[in-house]
Amino acid sequence: MDKRRIFISPVTRIEGHANITIELDDDGNVQDALFHVNEFRGFEKFCEGRMYTEMPTITPRICGICPTSHTLASVKACEMIQGTQPTYTANLLRRLMHIGQNLSSHALSFFHLSSPDFLLGYDSDPAKRNILGIAEKYPDIAVKGIRLRKFGQELSERITGKKIHIMGIVPGGMAYPLTEENRKALLQWIPEATQTVQLGLSIIKRFHEENADMVNSFAPSPTLYLGTVGPNGEHELYDGKLRFMDADGSILNDQVSPTDYLNYIAERSVNWSYLKYPYYKPYGFDKGFYRVGPLARLNVASKMRTPLAQKEFEIFKSMNGGKPVHGTFYFHYTRLIEALSDVEDAERILNDPQVTSLHIQHHGRWNYDEGIGSSEAPRGTLFHHYKTDETGKLVKVNLLIATGQNNPSMNRSVLEVAKQYVKGDDIKEGMLNRVESAIRCYDPCLSCSTHAIGQMPMVIELTNKKGELIKRIERG
Amino acid sequence: MNTIPVIINDKKLDVDPGKTILEVCRENDIEMLTMCHLKGVMDIGACRLCLVEVEGANKLMSACTTRVNANMIVRTATDKIKRYQRITTELFFAERNHVCSVCVANGKCELQQLGYKVELDHIRYPHLFPQCEVDTSHPWYVMDHNRCIMCTRCVRVCTEVEGAHNWDVMNRGHQVRIISDFNTPWGESITCTSCGKCLHACPTGAIWPKAIVQGQLEKKPEMLSELMEKRKMKL
Repeated sequence: MDKRRIFISPVTRIEGHANITIELDDDGNVQDALFHVNEFRGFEKFCEGRMYTEMPTITPRICGICPTSHTLASVKACEMIQGTQPTYTANLLRRLMHIGQNLSSHALSFFHLSSPDFLLGYDSDPAKRNILGIAEKYPDIAVKGIRLRKFGQELSERITGKKIHIMGIVPGGMAYPLTEENRKALLQWIPEATQTVQLGLSIIKRFHEENADMVNSFAPSPTLYLGTVGPNGEHELYDGKLRFMDADGSILNDQVSPTDYLNYIAERSVNWSYLKYPYYKPYGFDKGFYRVGPLARLNVASKMRTPLAQKEFEIFKSMNGGKPVHGTFYFHYTRLIEALSDVEDAERILNDPQVTSLHIQHHGRWNYDEGIGSSEAPRGTLFHHYKTDETGKLVKVNLLIATGQNNPSMNRSVLEVAKQYVKGDDIKEGMLNRVESAIRCYDPCLSCSTHAIGQMPMVIELTNKKGELIKRIERG
Repeated sequence: MNTIPVIINDKKLDVDPGKTILEVCRENDIEMLTMCHLKGVMDIGACRLCLVEVEGANKLMSACTTRVNANMIVRTATDKIKRYQRITTELFFAERNHVCSVCVANGKCELQQLGYKVELDHIRYPHLFPQCEVDTSHPWYVMDHNRCIMCTRCVRVCTEVEGAHNWDVMNRGHQVRIISDFNTPWGESITCTSCGKCLHACPTGAIWPKAIVQGQLEKKPEMLSELMEKRKMKL
């Protein structure tokens, strides 16, 4: 059969660069799609030989959007090596900073990168389908989105002095306390932040109503889900246990300690990508695809921790009769429900009388040769796993990152969207944008790290089997 | 005590004989860049940052090892000297593996401050990227050769202040390394007293305590200088 291939190169960077190959048959129907990550970064390798205590400083550099999640997973691994626990106040401050990062990331994903699709339309002029286009047509929404992100970053800045690549989260607790002046300043943000998140919710709900067919048919294949939950199954970002859920909503494993992750998750390399394919071990590689991130977290959770978010959660749960919602498009909705929960939780923490306490660190030293830590990054569950020699020097590092865990599903979502929208030799701009949108739903680092105006540079080339170019669409 | 006249940067000064140019400059608030100098221990002129022009000399002189003479004319901030300081700083960064963003000394590092002072915005020399060991064998401290600039302040402090002489130097050129005893792991040293003075003497993140992470490092080199001053006091 004379296969033809569409190459999308580069999609953009996921801590590097990515390409997509779409294979067509003779009739122009999509046969397969492959999502390639063709850059290698090597953190796991070059961290070997360093002291384990340096990891909370080195690993946040993996990502400029979710450095706090990396730091938290890292300090937890360090605390397991030391056998220490953070103080009560340190836990509050860490939660605050994690909320800030999650809020900032979700605001970026929704208002900067995705809202142009919802407010301006998928087929609108690509030159204006970005945050600047929103600023022109809906200046009020653009400003509110930008300010919500500012609030998220300020939560870190007012504790540690830095917005990004924060310092100060240390094994055993925190290096810096929260001052009373900063506590009051942060509390003043709460009403505005709540209002902005609710504005986002109204935008996405209206889009759902007006585009129900598209939303429900957008890469809707069922998968397993993994997320962190509290002791009563409540939604959790900072600390908790793992819950695996199958596509029908049955809990496969509950209250699993993150330190046991290797009993449930395995990884396999594929020959077309540097990004490995993690899978749920008991189901094997072919059936063990699972998703992480806001959609997964809300699918596995039994309830939210805060009242306003709980109300939205109940609406979300009712969409599929209490069973998991599989539509990839619902990542956006769940992201906003999480953002609402973040703002409510930030208010609760800022009103805790212990939040400004100066008892912020327990001190420890190397005691064990292995440490595992996890946290919920904006994109999903994140694991850091370190092994050391008897002096504390790292001999093995394993980092299981959220975007990696979503990799098999992203690949499949691209295939589903391509099957739905690509046909024959005629590649339209709308198709390009929808393939891009399938990736953006997962909010992987490729949409967040560099392309803040919400448009990925893309080249789609349609060639025949001999490699001769049939058609080329370029955007960037 | 009799004083002698010297002219530094066109300014006439009456100074005590026997002092170094660096001492005179520091006493008269003339800014001098240094890395290997640590007040109280022997100067060796290793870092080449304190080079000055001395009228009549056919080469630049290191201010820390050159004593003042009567009627000496010295210039400390000519374009040539600034160019050399910039080159020297770039070579420090190019020689080993200095990554400020993930270094435990970030914000507390003399090399980093030097970079700011010479307005280092890029490095024109190819980085050597040597494979350097991180010695974690000591129960309390780490020696990271990636961040060592061979100022040898640790060697001199260990020898002259603590009297232990755990640290020394081996090899030459860019193969040169600080060693513990006869190149054994620090944790196996029979001379180290674990006093931690080398940690305070180190201007970078090469020697640091295991108990801290970035943002928590406190180095007090002035404490070592005060210690030496106190020893000179006659009680």
